[in-house]
Amino acid sequence: MRDSSDMGESKVLSAVTLAGVAKFFGTFKAIEGIDLTIRQNEFFTLLGPSGCGKTTILRMLAGFETPSSGEILLDGRDISRLGPNQRPVNTVFQNYALFPHLSVAQNIGFALKMLGRPRPEIRDTVEDMLALVQLSGRGDQLVTQLSGGQQQRVALARALAPRPKVLLLDEPLSALDQKLRKTMQIELKRMQRETGITFVFVTHDQEEALTMSDRIAVLSNGALRQVGSPHEIYNHPVDRFVADFIGETNLLTGKVIRQDGDCAHVVLPGGVTIEAQCPHAVSAGSEVTLAVRPEHCTLAGPEAPLSGFIEQVVYFGTDTHFHLRLPGGAPLVLRRQNAADGRALPQQGETVGVALAPSATRVLRD
Amino acid sequence: MRKGFDTRSLPGFGIMALLCFAALYLPIAVLVVFAFNAGDSIAVMQGLSLRWFVAAAQNEQVIDASIRSLQVAVAAAGLATFVATLAAVATTRTHRYRGRDAKIMLFTVPLMVPEIVTAVALLILVSKLKVWTGYTGLGYLILSHAAFCVPFAYMPIRARLSGMDTTLEAAAADLYASRWQAFAHVTLPLLLPGIIAGFMLGFVISLDDVVITEFVKSAGQDTLPTYMLGQLRRNITPEINAISTAFLMLSIVLIVLFYLLSNRKKT
Repeated sequence: MRDSSDMGESKVLSAVTLAGVAKFFGTFKAIEGIDLTIRQNEFFTLLGPSGCGKTTILRMLAGFETPSSGEILLDGRDISRLGPNQRPVNTVFQNYALFPHLSVAQNIGFALKMLGRPRPEIRDTVEDMLALVQLSGRGDQLVTQLSGGQQQRVALARALAPRPKVLLLDEPLSALDQKLRKTMQIELKRMQRETGITFVFVTHDQEEALTMSDRIAVLSNGALRQVGSPHEIYNHPVDRFVADFIGETNLLTGKVIRQDGDCAHVVLPGGVTIEAQCPHAVSAGSEVTLAVRPEHCTLAGPEAPLSGFIEQVVYFGTDTHFHLRLPGGAPLVLRRQNAADGRALPQQGETVGVALAPSATRVLRD
Repeated sequence: MRKGFDTRSLPGFGIMALLCFAALYLPIAVLVVFAFNAGDSIAVMQGLSLRWFVAAAQNEQVIDASIRSLQVAVAAAGLATFVATLAAVATTRTHRYRGRDAKIMLFTVPLMVPEIVTAVALLILVSKLKVWTGYTGLGYLILSHAAFCVPFAYMPIRARLSGMDTTLEAAAADLYASRWQAFAHVTLPLLLPGIIAGFMLGFVISLDDVVITEFVKSAGQDTLPTYMLGQLRRNITPEINAISTAFLMLSIVLIVLFYLLSNRKKT
């Protein structure tokens, strides 16, 4: 794994550390070689397509699965063999898993009751939690009488009530409708800030991950691809998978002519040479993949060396997408923010000049 | 229902339905009506009276047998429900392993074994035990009834458990519940309707059992059904109808109770 943001990190900050963790189900490899540090008080997201192993990692953090090899450290203590009831880690389940026979307050107070806390303390904590999730006065209701969004809040309150060291969230927003989901994204972030608890969030939704996370770990096929801030992941994807999975990306192939430090000169199939960021060494003559976001491509005058034939123009309100065909036959999507001046835009069928920002065009590792 | 196809529009459907219901309930209705006969016949109605209910209520043998029936039914159903609950938990709250389905089958197959076979087997076993231990009390009846009630109690409990989301128990464990706490605070309360259903099923099955009771009971251990069977061999009076009607009322009360309980749990 390549964790560019972990440089020089002190040990004190780490909440959870996974060291060489692997998990096999029979002969099936769910995850392998996971080395990961989750810091205290951060909103950390495990992002990847279904089957990438993110849920397996979450289940191992919760104690529902035991790693086949490797260690999971919580505050420096190996917890990988402890049961779910023996570790200060709580989970918000995907389907909430609220106890249908208990009231809202009894659900929230469940963990404290199991821990044998005195009743007045449980009552006070439940009140605090109800206030935190904005359900004050609803304590006596049955959970089955609540809406999906309210059940979600109860599930959060129930998991936060015992003040865990780490809160795990297993795609908790997937059952909500679009509008409620947006609200909950902001809510979750607020709760994480207010409680100061480390959140580990699992999702396959890259937009959700970018919006909420302090740091993101991108996984595929049971391995870590990249760990970093949303900005790093989005703007400096290390490989083709990450570039393709996060947001929209144009992937172009080309041949390297030469490399000057971090800048590679790459010739595209149409014969035009462009400059691209390339922090790793590449040899001249090798075939490489370039990634450039649609918003980093701009329309240029006809004198620009790179030109594109407009196949389609899609209007989105805030911006317009131009689907271009480059001279070598490669497709390219260009996004242009709409201005209020009402200036005429190029139309379908025209050929326009295209500029790719050299600082935002990157040579990917394979 | 698909438009254009309504079973009720088929010719003769109404009559067939009526015949089916008549076959199910007419004999019971006749039995109940004759329980109120003022005369001595179970075939000719001679005016209405409660005399046979009074007669049954004052008949010490009936009272005796009723009490014994209830004792056996409560004890046997309770025992069977306890065993069935453990068995259901053991067969559903585990990963799938070779032999698990065979175990489940072992619990349910006794339902299909002819009762007379079980009765003969129990007769042989119990008569030996009576000789060895010298004990001839109700214990044999209770244990025998419990044995054949287990599959009946097992089915609704297992059905309820396998329909129950295991993430609830996972959630309990995640919230610091030990295994026992998770069972006591989450599994058991959610399972209660199934347990009550299992108990009631066992209770009713035990209450009206004739064959096994007849084979296993010691002298003077008549339950209500075996007492009634004995009476039928002598002179038949509407007292039998009165007892049966009282029996029926008890069953109806139980069914209504169960219905109310299970409906309350659902909402």
